[in-house]
Amino acid sequence: MTLQTSSALDDALLAAHAKSDLPDLVALYTQAADQAEGRSDTNAACFYLTHAFVFALEDGAAEADRLNKRLADYGCAKRLEF
Amino acid sequence: MNKHSDLASVIADVSTANGLPNAHYIDPSVFEEEKHAVLFANWAGVGFGKDIPEPGDAKPVDFLGMPILLVRDHDGAIGVFQNTCRHRGMILVDKPQKIRGAIRCPYHSWCYNLNGALRTTPHVGGPGRSMHEDINMDELGLFRIKAHVWRDVIFVNVDGAASPFEEVHADLLERWKEFDTPVHHGGASSSFTLQVASNWKLAVENYCESYHLPWVHPGLNSYSRLEDHYNIEERGLYSGQGTLVYRQLKDQSGAVMPDFAGLSDKWDEGAEYVALYPNVLFGIQRDHSFAILLEPQGCETTVEHIEIYYAKSEADTPELTALRDTNATQWKGVFEEDVFVVEGMQKGRHGVLFDGGRFSPVMDGPTHNFHHWVATQIAAGRDA
Repeated sequence: MTLQTSSALDDALLAAHAKSDLPDLVALYTQAADQAEGRSDTNAACFYLTHAFVFALEDGAAEADRLNKRLADYGCAKRLEF
Repeated sequence: MNKHSDLASVIADVSTANGLPNAHYIDPSVFEEEKHAVLFANWAGVGFGKDIPEPGDAKPVDFLGMPILLVRDHDGAIGVFQNTCRHRGMILVDKPQKIRGAIRCPYHSWCYNLNGALRTTPHVGGPGRSMHEDINMDELGLFRIKAHVWRDVIFVNVDGAASPFEEVHADLLERWKEFDTPVHHGGASSSFTLQVASNWKLAVENYCESYHLPWVHPGLNSYSRLEDHYNIEERGLYSGQGTLVYRQLKDQSGAVMPDFAGLSDKWDEGAEYVALYPNVLFGIQRDHSFAILLEPQGCETTVEHIEIYYAKSEADTPELTALRDTNATQWKGVFEEDVFVVEGMQKGRHGVLFDGGRFSPVMDGPTHNFHHWVATQIAAGRDA
């Protein structure tokens, strides 16, 4: 799932929050982070990565390890063992 | 009010003692005192392993207002934590659920693993920054509550000051060591609750003694007479009753439920019923056992959680489902017969002239043993 416009992404995020759909939340926040990185907006990227990581961690998803590494590489999170 | 003199009459020998004064059943301030001195300072039952059977299962429990979280970790071990986030004190888990990865606080999303370790503190150092030099995650895991599982009952020591469960209850563990074999819950019909309008202690007191059996449970008279019972009294530990004429339940074809493995002849017709202080009542027979967890919901309100266990699982003995159902129905009937006396004693304790009552020196020893223990715990709490 790739949403091109920020408003579409916002709508999808709100829907995922409403359903507590953890896999969707991980994917959508990761997408938002990727878009922010594309704009070289590191602060926004870390904000979205943080959310993607939290929901991946909650869900026990494999992505948690990779998302944590991205945050740690930015110096925004402690590197965890999984 | 001279509370110490009140308790002195309780601690006296059974032949001259009075029971606990009315205030211990109807006064909210004494209930609050007992919460700490009796229930939080000892090994109290708060749940059953059967309710969190698989790794990741979590169940919140409100134990006298204390928020507790029961968790089965990935190794299958049961952990008990205070169900409170270390950040702003938010309740973490508000209903039974499966924790797939982490326990996430719904407020600011601080996350903990199944062992209580703090795993992330999102935005704690500002937007997008999950670290801060003053926040040491290693020091901010969930508060673990001392816990021990015995016969599938989850015991906790809230104040953390009690000696280990195996030490405190070494006597009963030795007494019942022949029953130290796996137990299997009997399924849906083997799980039921009774709501009683009574202080929790009256359910203990009634359970301890056989004196009431011919009057309250006349159906037992045909095969289980008063003289076939004996008192069980261990000062400072537990009390109850035993029977010498336990009779196995049989169906029309003569089928019985399988025995626990390795029992001696003593248990062919023997059975014992013990109140393990403060709030768990156990019964053991050759072919099944049960646990009654008394949940004090208030000074004059208690929920009895009854769970029945067998030597073989439901899956291994589907042909015995009807027999297990009959057994559960029979026990439920017996326990329901006790409700009116427990509630009646509660009402009676609003009689301002009642002095705690006198005990039969012969028949009421187990009940007095419990009163003695409660009074001792309260005195210890006052001296602390």
